[in-house]
Amino acid sequence: MIIKHADKIASPEVLQGAFEQRGYICSDAIATAVYLACHLQKPILVEGPPGVGKTELAKVTAEYLAAPLIRMQCYEGLDEAKALYEWKYGKQLLYTQVLKDQLGDVMRGARGLDESVERLHSFGDIFYSEQFLETRPLLQALREPDGAVLLIDEIDKSDQEFEAFLLELLSDYQVSIPEIGTVKAKSKPIVFLTSNNTRELGDALKRRCLHLHIPFPETHLENQIIASQVPDMDENLRGQLVDFVHELRQMALKKVPAISESIDWARALLLLNVDNLDEKWVRDTLSLLLKYQDDIEIVEPELRKIMNQINA
Amino acid sequence: MQKVFADFIHTLRQQGVPVSPAETLDALKVAELLGVQERHQLRHGLGLVLAKNQQDKQTYEHYFDEFFKFTEVTPSTKGEDSEGEKGEDGIHEPSEPNQDLSANGDGPSDISSSSGQGGGESEDAGESESELMLSGDLAVQAQSPLGQMLQAGDAAEIAMAIARAGQQEGVQNIQLFTQKPLFSYRMMNQMGNEALNQELLELDASNELAQQRLASRLRNAQAHLQEQVRDYVEQQYLLYAEAKGQQLRENTLQKVKLTNIDNHYAHQMADLVRKAAKRLASLHSRKRKLRKRGLLDVRKTIAANAAYDGVLFHTRWKTTVVDRPKIMVICDVSGSVSRVARFLLLFVHSLQEVLPRTRSFVFSSDMGEVTNLFKDQSLEEALSDIMTTWANQSTSYDKALADFSEQALQDVDQKTTVIMLGDARNNNGNGRADIWQKVYQQAGRVLWLNPEHINSWDTGDSIMASYRPYCSELHCCNSLRDLERILGNLLKHS
Repeated sequence: MIIKHADKIASPEVLQGAFEQRGYICSDAIATAVYLACHLQKPILVEGPPGVGKTELAKVTAEYLAAPLIRMQCYEGLDEAKALYEWKYGKQLLYTQVLKDQLGDVMRGARGLDESVERLHSFGDIFYSEQFLETRPLLQALREPDGAVLLIDEIDKSDQEFEAFLLELLSDYQVSIPEIGTVKAKSKPIVFLTSNNTRELGDALKRRCLHLHIPFPETHLENQIIASQVPDMDENLRGQLVDFVHELRQMALKKVPAISESIDWARALLLLNVDNLDEKWVRDTLSLLLKYQDDIEIVEPELRKIMNQINA
Repeated sequence: MQKVFADFIHTLRQQGVPVSPAETLDALKVAELLGVQERHQLRHGLGLVLAKNQQDKQTYEHYFDEFFKFTEVTPSTKGEDSEGEKGEDGIHEPSEPNQDLSANGDGPSDISSSSGQGGGESEDAGESESELMLSGDLAVQAQSPLGQMLQAGDAAEIAMAIARAGQQEGVQNIQLFTQKPLFSYRMMNQMGNEALNQELLELDASNELAQQRLASRLRNAQAHLQEQVRDYVEQQYLLYAEAKGQQLRENTLQKVKLTNIDNHYAHQMADLVRKAAKRLASLHSRKRKLRKRGLLDVRKTIAANAAYDGVLFHTRWKTTVVDRPKIMVICDVSGSVSRVARFLLLFVHSLQEVLPRTRSFVFSSDMGEVTNLFKDQSLEEALSDIMTTWANQSTSYDKALADFSEQALQDVDQKTTVIMLGDARNNNGNGRADIWQKVYQQAGRVLWLNPEHINSWDTGDSIMASYRPYCSELHCCNSLRDLERILGNLLKHS
């Protein structure tokens, strides 16, 4: 996969430019991280507050490299049967029932128990073969002939055990299935792991990954992002909007607005034909930015002050 | 280049960023891939492999700037300085300094040069030739090697010599700030300062004007060199040893008895306690499982019975094991333990963060539950609240235990661990050991941590002996290290 796209990942700048064309404005750090991940063939662990484009990064990478995106959402209780593979038990049962008579035919004429077992052995493990294997995202990513982008979303939500299970996959791109053996990646996938930091991940996992922290973007970067996502927006209004959101992020809120919220807000303002951000409009649309009533109550009395600040 | 990276990573480790050897290798690969020309990119790239959480990232960025600033700036500043000096002597053409500056300005990101001075050297090469020619005009030549070098005044070469001397003397191993003059002195000697001094004496003795001029010039240069060496040592100290001093202090603080710690260190102590608690948390917070029974796991059942032709022989049940210890901490905050009470409370607070099902009580005579106080208020507020409300009364274990039996005894069960932090000095009361006996019978485990040394138990009004039979474990706990060890054990077994 890497060899196929060597020109596409020639340097971090190339990546940055290409992502920009696809509407994903990224900082130098992000471009460098993706570049290194491609060349060193190491997974990237992306951390950062919700809504800064962690998942989006994997999507845009997959799109750019024209590779299938295989996504696995983690949650508590996720185990390897759901992440890696499972046997098709129903099918196995059905086949044993159907083949019962056949089995009688095969065994006919065999003398003694030893010979019967011998004959059975000569058929191999029919019921534990590829046909009965149900692939799950991880195995699927390994078996993709041209490589894939594997997104392991919100790894922090999964259990400790699952994290440990991932180690073999992440360092050697292979997994062991007891019945079949070790499955090695045909072409190494590019792996993104995202985390919201609800719990500290293990050192062993972190050691195997490049660690990328995506913070809230700086004003000019966010300005660019909104410009690319909501192109019809007036430049002046966009500046006001970005400044306002930045002011909010300085406040002690339960959940500060992320980029996705700024984009939603920008779209809403565009829809409402707002051409200048004033207090009334902000008050009416504040619920788009803040998701908790407590936060809204904190911000509302301060609105005038903030508006004065951003208009100054 | 490897040496530079090794030094840099060493510096990071000194600052508490855990960098494993595997990550070091990764860092080298990254540097190879990105090249060292794009400083900005390299900074991001190395950050990805070396620092793996936000705090570490900040440390990393700070020290990346520090470490590589040093290598890139040194040649240019040195160049300027020595230039200026010669300007005063009126030997140098005024146009030269500008040229020099621009030359150095071209390579600000040249961090590849092994100690940074190599890059400067080539740029200064043209200039140093003219220097040599100029000094050739002087009738007298310095004889000692150092003297010759100073006379030549090649900034890059001098800087190289300083770095060389530093390496030979092992400045990287500097530990304490008091060692700075020693290292400076040794480095000067390593560079041949003694020979220079000898020569200066001889020059002074002669009567020729040219020789005396040379002597004064060399003296100036020598003084300047000394300053450079001092700067160098200072930089090395900041890079390698600043954190060591801190570590040394922390290690000592951990071992010192809590009663003997000066108030001055209270602030640092709070940090240490927090660190210890965090360590305990990361070690033990993972055991969170609860057994949930009664749900048939269909998938697993079928899988387990595939061998029996699909006849359901064995049943498989869904289980998730969640098992969290329940802890009650009782902390004495009376006058006799007032010196350690703060630390004990600090630890109780941290413990409550680690184990969310911890209930905390404080007493000196009346007992009060402070679980919610710790939960709702910041640590500092909670501590001062507790100290004003509960502390500074005379101790009465009688009253306190009676209160405890009223408030919490019914909640003590076989899964509960009760921890008492106190010295059992009861102002000659009888102590109500019967209540403690009840606690002991009901609880899974009873720990008593006494801040006094074992020799002072049962002396004066201490009635440790009457509680002793009713404790599963009894420890003397008077330093942070004790506290950490005991609670570490506690968490391991619970």
